Amino acid sequence: MSSHAGPIDHHHDHTTSTGIPNKKLVMWAFLASDCMFFGCLIATHMIYRLYPPPGAPDPMDIYSIELTSFSTFILLMSSLMMALAVNAIQKNNLKSMRLSLLTTVFFGAIFLGCQVYEFQHFVHEKHLTLTNSLFGSTFYTLTGTHGTHVAIGVFWLILMYVRSFQPAAGIKDRGWFWRGLLHIASVIGVVMFSMFAVIGLTHTLQAGEGFGAFLSHDFGLLIGLAVTTALSFYLARPRGPVAFGEANAIDVESMGLYWHFVDIVWIVIFTAVYLLEYL
Amino acid sequence: MSHSPATADHGDEENKFQIYIKIAMLLAVITGIEIVFIFLPFPIWLIVTVLVVLSTVKFMYVIFYFMHLRWDKPFCTILFFIGLVIAGGTTWALLLLFGAKDSMPLTAISSLANYFVG
Amino acid sequence: MEATAKSNFTGHDEHVAPKRASVFWRPTSKTGLMSWLTTVDHKRIGFLYGVFALFFFLIGGLEALLIRLQLAVPNNDLLSAQQYNELFTMHGTTMIFLAIMPLSAAFFNFMIPLQIGARDVAFPRLNTFSLWTFLAGAIIINLGWFMKVGAPDAGWFGYAPLTSSTYSPDHSIDMWVMGLQLLGIASIAASLNFIVTIINMRAPGMTMMRLPVFTWMALFTSFLLILSFPAITIALVELMMDRLFGTNFFEVSNGGMPILWQHLFWIFGHPEVYILILPAMGVISEILPTFSRKPLFGYPIVVFSGAIIGFMGFTVWSHHMFTTGMGTVATAAFALATMAIAVPTGVKIFNWIGTLWGGHLQMRTPMMFALGFIWMFMIGGFSGIMHSAAPADAQQQDSYFVVAHFHYVLIGGSLFGLLAAIHYWFPLMFGRIVSEFWGKFSFWIIFTGFNVTFFPMHFLGLNGMPRRTFTYDSNLGWNTPNFIATIGALVLGVGIAIYFITIVYTYFKGQKVGRDPWDARTLEWSIPCPPPEYNFAVIPKVHARDAFWYEKHHKEEIAKENAEQAKEDEAHGGIHMPFASIYPLVASIGMLVAGIGISALDHNKLIVSIIGGVIMVAGIFLWAHEGNEGYHMQADKEKKS
Repeated sequence: MSSHAGPIDHHHDHTTSTGIPNKKLVMWAFLASDCMFFGCLIATHMIYRLYPPPGAPDPMDIYSIELTSFSTFILLMSSLMMALAVNAIQKNNLKSMRLSLLTTVFFGAIFLGCQVYEFQHFVHEKHLTLTNSLFGSTFYTLTGTHGTHVAIGVFWLILMYVRSFQPAAGIKDRGWFWRGLLHIASVIGVVMFSMFAVIGLTHTLQAGEGFGAFLSHDFGLLIGLAVTTALSFYLARPRGPVAFGEANAIDVESMGLYWHFVDIVWIVIFTAVYLLEYL
Repeated sequence: MSHSPATADHGDEENKFQIYIKIAMLLAVITGIEIVFIFLPFPIWLIVTVLVVLSTVKFMYVIFYFMHLRWDKPFCTILFFIGLVIAGGTTWALLLLFGAKDSMPLTAISSLANYFVG
Repeated sequence: MEATAKSNFTGHDEHVAPKRASVFWRPTSKTGLMSWLTTVDHKRIGFLYGVFALFFFLIGGLEALLIRLQLAVPNNDLLSAQQYNELFTMHGTTMIFLAIMPLSAAFFNFMIPLQIGARDVAFPRLNTFSLWTFLAGAIIINLGWFMKVGAPDAGWFGYAPLTSSTYSPDHSIDMWVMGLQLLGIASIAASLNFIVTIINMRAPGMTMMRLPVFTWMALFTSFLLILSFPAITIALVELMMDRLFGTNFFEVSNGGMPILWQHLFWIFGHPEVYILILPAMGVISEILPTFSRKPLFGYPIVVFSGAIIGFMGFTVWSHHMFTTGMGTVATAAFALATMAIAVPTGVKIFNWIGTLWGGHLQMRTPMMFALGFIWMFMIGGFSGIMHSAAPADAQQQDSYFVVAHFHYVLIGGSLFGLLAAIHYWFPLMFGRIVSEFWGKFSFWIIFTGFNVTFFPMHFLGLNGMPRRTFTYDSNLGWNTPNFIATIGALVLGVGIAIYFITIVYTYFKGQKVGRDPWDARTLEWSIPCPPPEYNFAVIPKVHARDAFWYEKHHKEEIAKENAEQAKEDEAHGGIHMPFASIYPLVASIGMLVAGIGISALDHNKLIVSIIGGVIMVAGIFLWAHEGNEGYHMQADKEKKS
């Protein structure tokens, strides 16, 4: 636990020459570099869309604007939740931060799921592969690289979430890390079970049967949902002071900067790769 | 952007939450406008301009508010804009280079008329 | 800046030793192999960069000598065409990425914290990671020499489609690509570190406009690195995807355009040459004032010119492509920009001359190399200006005129600057001074050999001799200049050998020196030679540019300030030092294994890559969790010297 005189100023670090914390400065410098990285990838894609070779696939036949719009909204919302998480931990509100982080992970994972669905839909139904056209090569490489950045972010967010459960120094609780991972696993279980339960309910209702039929078909899913929900809450219950608080806000903030950057890159990709093709 | 101790902008902290929510709503609305706009019967140059402007607006809101540049020391903004300007300038130059008539691939010269345009 | 004050941004209390799991073993020894593998001390890391760089410099030199021996006479058969291609590829790649850049990095590492009055860089473990990742990249690039596929052979610039799997089917190019990617990661990580260090960790009173020019040039070089490397990273990713997965980025039959490779490569490649020269310019800007006994002339202009050169370096890349048919407008635009970039470069040269003018010149060895730099770099600049005229370049492109140009700026410029730096800072790093006679002798041999080798190449180029050809016919008028150039190369080799033997001898048995043997002007000379682990017993307060010069002429004021600061530091527990760590090395080893898996193997690619990836992630994970609270120590009682 850190001991410091007075409240923490999250906007000024008096140990550095500029007042900007080192971790924040390094992340901004890295993002400046990443601008160039994505700039070159986006440029490659746009260059190859200037004069498409004969027989090139037409994005109009391939894109699904509904799906992409949905995933764009989702990523935007995840960005909001990330900002709220940083805001929460700066006010030492650990519970609120954890909830916001978890929601960010949730939305990020949905975005990734949409990307995976989009890719497999394009490959199997639209016959656009990485290698069978120039458009496929540039499209999958660009959006795939962005997706990799999102995946790294989700991974980092999960680790930060688990880290927020680390017991304070001097407290004997060696299994906290694995318990944290199990907690994440059970949260994923909650999401999966509720998803399949909703799908199951929809199918049952569409088939003209009633709620009773749903219960008899998918009772197992509901049991699973109940168990994983209970497990999630149980594993995350407070066990004493943790070594995570306002002093760690800088780490959450740096991670937030990375996550927002991934979002603004998507803003550019959504316009340059998707929307502009509709003209 | 001068620094101030946490207590002084405690009032702002309350508002930040509201600000973030409002901006998220704005970003969602702008995205919706973009998606609708591309299907409207306007000339291409107008649609492209509007899309670029709207995307830029979204971009700026995220970096200045969500990424906190508005309240941070100016050097963070300068640092990021160095990368952004060089990346944007390079992308623009590349598109000009490859868009130029001399760089048109032979497969795109489908007719003489095509070649002499622009 | 309170070096020992706790930052609220570390989240750790430095006075309480945290309980830690046994996996977070702390390396504590200060001597022996383990202490070198786990060091986070910027001085040791700089030393290791230097040792590796000089080793690869000798390898690159050997490659060059073989090239010159092959070209000594027409229709020679010392080397086959394939061997020749591997040699000129590896000579270029080795000299640029494994010799000059790490040698610059060596001095950045050693000197930047000392020049700004800090105890270490901002992220010491990231610094270690950069070093070992650099070594991993160097190993992968050179693996081909030991394998049947041979070394990479498509030029240091690897143009598509020669590097595609159609025309380079074996793994040599894969290893070239993978090695460069690792080098890029190392460079970017190191540059991020230096940027934060220079901006954020300056001693109190060290404003940006009081920074030594070497540190300014390091800052600009770091910016150039983080902004230019992504371009080659993307180019290499696209090439790797083409080779491994059959994508179409440079596949003409599916609409790909190989010219895109050229653009992306040179968007990196041009800033890269400024990355190679700016550190040397920084060194010269330190040496000239010291040995002219007067401050640098026009400091703000020299700094500003460096910034302009850095920025404009991004606007000229297609001057490497004047003969590719970009069209009149593009060619003219890049020609103009290239001519313009000569202006800030010229401004620097005038300022260096202004520094010498009216000075009390001391012709010591570092000064010889510095003067040689000014003259030789100028010659290289003149041939560069000749290139900037696109019509003239149409004849010069791909001829020996280009070879002459870039060797004048790279050897006469970068190498002379770095050789000067070794002599200049040798006393600081090792507490011994290099013999004046042997230093100057090696300088003259190098200078002579270098000019005899490369001056004739201007004429060879204007007379039409093309680059990268392993033989030439005897009736083209190229015989004599080639022969002379080879003699020059051998002389240069002898000069380099004398230089190396001299500094190795001096390291072990050279004359010892006390503090500040050159009566220098900047802070790195204010501490003992060699420096203690913690650099400064007391973090200095800076009052003016040429901070140490001010200190030497205001001794009482400085003594009083230091005594006060020392008392304050005592109250905080002494000097705060970072812990050593094994995890950056583990992460780098993981990257090495994964890199080999992806690029060098025929079988078991996936499993080896995954193992490497797991090691890398484990290393990073443990690195993130081991904590960075560090420890406290007391300054040594100084020996009076």
